[in-house]
Amino acid sequence: MSAAATETAVASAGPAGRRRRRPVTGSLLVGGLIVAIVIGMALLSFVWTPHDPTLVNPAVRLQEPSAEYWFGTDKFGRDVFSQVLMGSRTTLFVGFVAVGVAALVGVPLGIVAGMAPRWCGELLMRGNDLLLAFPALLLAIMFAAVYGAGTLVAMVAIGIASIPHFARLIRGGTLQVMETEYVIAARAAGRGPFAIAVRHVLPNVSSLVIVQASVGFAIAVLAEAALSFLGFGTPPPTPSWGRMLQESQELLSIAPRLAVFPGVAIALAVLGFNLLGDGLRDRFDPKLEDRR
Amino acid sequence: MKHHKRPGRGTGAVAATLACLLLASCSAGSTATGGSAGKNSLNIGLTAEPANFDFTKTEGAAIPQALLYNVYETLVKLDQSGKIRPQLATSWSLSKDRRTYTFHLVKNATFSNGARFTAEDAKFSIERVTTDWTLVQKTQMDVVDTVRAVSPTELKVTLKRPSNDWLYRMTTRIGAMFSRTGVSKLATEPVGTGPYVVKNWNRGDSITLARRHGYWARTPHFASVTLKYFKDPTAMNNALLTGTINVIGQMQSPESLYRFQNNSKYKVIEGTTNGEVVLSLNNGSGPMKNPKARQAVRYAIDHKALMDTCWAGRGKLIGSMVPPTDPWYQNLTDLYPYDRDKAKKLVEESGEAGRTLRLRIPTLPYATACGTVVKSQLEQAGFKVKLDQLEFPAAWLTTVFKNADYDMSIIGHVEPRDMQTVFGNEKSYIRYDNPEFRALLAKADQGTREQQITDMRAAARLVSKDAAADWLFLLPNLMVADKDITGLPVNSVSESLDLTGLGRS
Amino acid sequence: MIVRLVQRIGILLASLVVSSVLVFAFMAVLPGDPARVALGTSASDSAVAQLREQFGLDRSLVAQYFSWIHGLVTFDPGDSYISHAPIGPQLADRLQVTLWLVGTGMVIACVLALPVGTLMAVRHRKPSGLILSALSQVGVAVPAFLAGILLITVFAVGLGWLPANGWTPPVQDPVLFLKQLVMPALSLGIVQAAVLTRYVRSAVLDVLREDYLRTARAKGLRPTRALLRHGLRNAAVPVVTVLALQLATLLVGSVVIERVFVIPGLGSLLLDSVANRDLIVVQDVVMIIAMAVLLVNFLVDMVYLLIDPRLRGGAS
Repeated sequence: MSAAATETAVASAGPAGRRRRRPVTGSLLVGGLIVAIVIGMALLSFVWTPHDPTLVNPAVRLQEPSAEYWFGTDKFGRDVFSQVLMGSRTTLFVGFVAVGVAALVGVPLGIVAGMAPRWCGELLMRGNDLLLAFPALLLAIMFAAVYGAGTLVAMVAIGIASIPHFARLIRGGTLQVMETEYVIAARAAGRGPFAIAVRHVLPNVSSLVIVQASVGFAIAVLAEAALSFLGFGTPPPTPSWGRMLQESQELLSIAPRLAVFPGVAIALAVLGFNLLGDGLRDRFDPKLEDRR
Repeated sequence: MKHHKRPGRGTGAVAATLACLLLASCSAGSTATGGSAGKNSLNIGLTAEPANFDFTKTEGAAIPQALLYNVYETLVKLDQSGKIRPQLATSWSLSKDRRTYTFHLVKNATFSNGARFTAEDAKFSIERVTTDWTLVQKTQMDVVDTVRAVSPTELKVTLKRPSNDWLYRMTTRIGAMFSRTGVSKLATEPVGTGPYVVKNWNRGDSITLARRHGYWARTPHFASVTLKYFKDPTAMNNALLTGTINVIGQMQSPESLYRFQNNSKYKVIEGTTNGEVVLSLNNGSGPMKNPKARQAVRYAIDHKALMDTCWAGRGKLIGSMVPPTDPWYQNLTDLYPYDRDKAKKLVEESGEAGRTLRLRIPTLPYATACGTVVKSQLEQAGFKVKLDQLEFPAAWLTTVFKNADYDMSIIGHVEPRDMQTVFGNEKSYIRYDNPEFRALLAKADQGTREQQITDMRAAARLVSKDAAADWLFLLPNLMVADKDITGLPVNSVSESLDLTGLGRS
Repeated sequence: MIVRLVQRIGILLASLVVSSVLVFAFMAVLPGDPARVALGTSASDSAVAQLREQFGLDRSLVAQYFSWIHGLVTFDPGDSYISHAPIGPQLADRLQVTLWLVGTGMVIACVLALPVGTLMAVRHRKPSGLILSALSQVGVAVPAFLAGILLITVFAVGLGWLPANGWTPPVQDPVLFLKQLVMPALSLGIVQAAVLTRYVRSAVLDVLREDYLRTARAKGLRPTRALLRHGLRNAAVPVVTVLALQLATLLVGSVVIERVFVIPGLGSLLLDSVANRDLIVVQDVVMIIAMAVLLVNFLVDMVYLLIDPRLRGGAS
C-alpha cells in the first residue's frame, strides 16, 4: 500500500517474458482462498440468503445464534448471517470501483510517464505526487461534502487517492520494459508509441497491476469501514460490514457478537486481499525467491 | 433539561434536532472545565453544539438550550410543569379587551456588562425581534402593535389583536432580554441578565458557564457548569460510566439504558418532551400529494413495533402534533390504527404502487433507526421505497426543509407548540395547505382559554385525519445522572436546559 | 548538494501553490452560496448580500484566493462564516491536539515495529518469525477504530483503568492528559506498527542479502550483530520513506480516532465543519493537512541526502 512497497515490486518485476514461474506460496494459497470465499459469498447472496437481510421483524429482535438464525439477529430483527452474506457484495463493489478508478487513470498515466521524454515523465510524476497530499479519507470526506454521502462517491474518492500508487508503480515497470531489446527493436522498426504501449508495455506490466489491485482492494475495504463509521459510507439499509460494525456499538456489552461478525469479516477480507497481493508479488518477483 | 432541539419551522429548527451529531467532541476535562471533580461544578453531556451564540440569526435548538434562562432571561418563564411564571416581570396584567399587557419589572436586575435592566431594554429587545432577527420565529412577534416603557419598571405591550399564544412565546427565545449596550457581538459574547455567564467555549468540545457575581435573584447551586458535546451516543454513555460527565442530558441510545438502570450509582429519568418524531410527507407534490397514498402510509406503520425496535420502546405514541404536556393534548392514535391489509388496498386504489418513494432522512440516530423500520413496513404494504441519508444539518436542511425536494422524511420537531409552524403555513416543507385548519388555529389564538383548547383539539384532529404526516412517536425525555444530582425535570417542556434549579444532595 | 536543495525547495513551493489552487477551486465549485448556507434557510436576500460583503464573497475569485492565501501566510485566516469566531486560534488549538496524537502514535508504531520487523527478518525462516509475520498481517487488517472500540470496552468500561474518552491539555493536568492519550495513541500506533513491521522486515531482508553482510557473516559474525553493525543505516532509507507516507495516513486516521475518543483535534474540526458547511474552515483544514504532507515529503528528501551518500550525487 504504500509507494515504497510498490517501488520494491517495480524494481524487481521484470517483463513477462523473462518471468520464471515459481510454486504457489502459502500466502498466495491462503489469500486466494479467502478472496474466493468472499467472492463466493457475494455470488451466493444473489441467489440465496437464509432470510431477507433487510426485513425488519420486531418479533425476533436480538436473538442469539440458532439453527434458524446462524449468527443471531440485530436490534431490528434482521438476520445477521444474511447481512454478512450481502455485505460481501458491498465490499466487492467498493473494491472494484476504487481499484477500477485508480487503475483506469493510474495505469495509462504511468505508461505515458514512462514512455514520454524524461523531463515530461518527471513532471507528470511530480503532479502525481501532489495527489499524495490528499489522503484517501480526506478526499472522501471532501467529496461527501460536495456530493453527499454514498458508497459510490466515497469509493471514487478512494480510487482517485490511489491513482498515484498505481501510476508510480507502472511508470517504474514501463521504464524497465522500454529498455528491453524487443522494445528497442520495435522502435527501430518504426512502430508508433501507442502500438508499443499496447503490444509490449501493457502485457508486461499487467502483473504489477494485478498485485497493486489486490492491495488496493484491501485499502478500499478498510476505507469503506472507516467512512461508514463516520457516516459517510454506505447508507442504510444496504448491508455493509462497516455500517453493521457502527450500529453494533450501542449494544456492545449485551450483544458483542453483533460487532464480532462484521469485524471478523472485514479483517478476514483485508487479510485475504493483502495475502493475495503478497503472494502474487512473490510469484512475480524473482528477487524474493531465496527468501522462502 | 430540556433539551434540545427544536426545529423550527421553517427552518431551522431542525437543526436542532440534531441532536445528534454535531460537533463533537469532547471530552473530558478539557480546557474548559475546571476539573470535573469539584463539588461545585457539574458536567452535562449533550449532543448538539451551538454553531455560535447568536440565536437571533442562527437557527437550531442548541443555542437556546445552552443560554436561555441561564445566560439570557425572559420577562416570563416556563417552569418544569409548563406553567408561565414570573422572571424579569414580577407580575403582569391583561386589559379588558385582552390586547394590552402591563408588566411590572424587577428593580435590581443587571446585565453581565454592568448595565441595569430597565423597561427601555425590554422595549428594545421586543422591537428588535421584528427589525433585526432573521429567524422564522420572529414572526411570532408580528402581533405586537406598540411597546411603551412607562417607567423603568413598567412596560406596556399592546397587541394588534388578542393572542393567547404571544405570552407563551415570550417564554421562548424571542422573549429573551438584551442590553441596549450589549448586542454588538452576540455571536461570541452574549450579554444577559441571567445567573451564568459564558466563561469559556472550547469549540468542538464544551462550553463552560460560570456563576456571575451580583446576580439579582437567588444564586444557583453550581458555581460552574460545563456542557460537553458528544456526537456519538456510545461515547457519551462511556463518559458517564467513567466519570467524565455527571449527567446525560439527552440519551440518544435508549437501547443502552440497561447499562445504567440496574446500577445504584445512577438515576434514570424518563418523561416526555416536545419532540414529535414526524414521518413528514410532501403534501405538495409527488406521490404523497395523493390523500389515499398518505392514508395508506398511516395504516401501514405499526407504531408500537416501530418504537420498540428503533427506540427501545421508550417514548409515547401520540398520533398527532401535540405532546401530553400541552393543555389540548388528546390521544389520536386510534384515527389510523395499524392495518396492513387496509394499507395494501389503499396503495392499490391510490395508483401510486409503482412509484418509488424517496425517503430522505437526516443523519441522526433516531432517524436512521426509524428509517430502516419505516422502509421495511411500507414495502410490506406494497410501496417501493428508496432510502437516502442526508447529512445533518446542512444537507438535510437545504434539500428537504428548504427546497422540499423529498417525498417522505423523518425528523423530530422539538420546538414547543409547533403545530402552527409546521402545518399552519402552506410554505413549510410539508406543504400542507388547508384553510380550515389555519382558521381553527387563528380562532384558538384569539378566543378564550376554553375556546383555545377546543379549537386546538379540533385542529390536531383535522391535521391527523388529513394524514398530512404520520407521527411515529414522541421522543422521551431520557436522562441519566449521578445519583446525587437533584432538580432534573421529568418532562422537558421548554427550549432551555434550565440549570438554575439543579443541585447536589 | 546545494543545487539539489534549491531544486527540492522549488518543488515544494510549486507543490504548495498548485495544491492551494486545487483546494480553493474545489471549494469554489461547491454548489450553494456560503453566505446563504451560513444564514440558514430563512434568511432574506438582503441579509445574505450583507454577509457576502462582510466576508468579501462579492469579490472576484482571484481576489478571494489571494486574500485566503494572505490569511494563511500571515496566520490570520479571518473569521468563520458560521461561528463568527476567529479561525486562527481554533486551528492552532486543534492542530496541537492532533499533533500530540499523531506524534505519540508514530512513536508507538516505531518502537514496536523496528525491533519486531528486524526480528521478523532475521528469523524469517524460523517459526517465531513466521508467527510474527502472521500477527502483523492480522494487525494490518484490523480497522483502527475497531481497535479503539475494543480498547475502550476492555480498559475503560470493563476494568475502569482509563477514562473512556476526552482530552485535557497537558498544561492543565498532565496526569489526566496522559491517561486520556494512551488509548487513542495506541489505537493509531498499533495498526500503523503492523503496517510498518512489514516494510522494516523487507528492508532488513534486502540488506541482509547484500554482499558486505554476507561477508561479515561468513567471517563468523552472528546475523543480528552483523546487521546492527553494518546494515541498519542502509535499511533506514526505505523505512523513512514509509514513515513519511504513514504520517499522512496517521493524520487522516486520527479523524476516525478522534471521533471514537471524542478528542477535539483537527479531524473532528473537519467533520464538524463539513456537517455545518463551514466551508472556509474545511478549506483551511484540508490545506493544513496537505501542507503537512508536502512538508514531510520534503523533509524526507532532505533526510535521504543525509542518510544515503549515494543519493547525494543525483537521481531521485
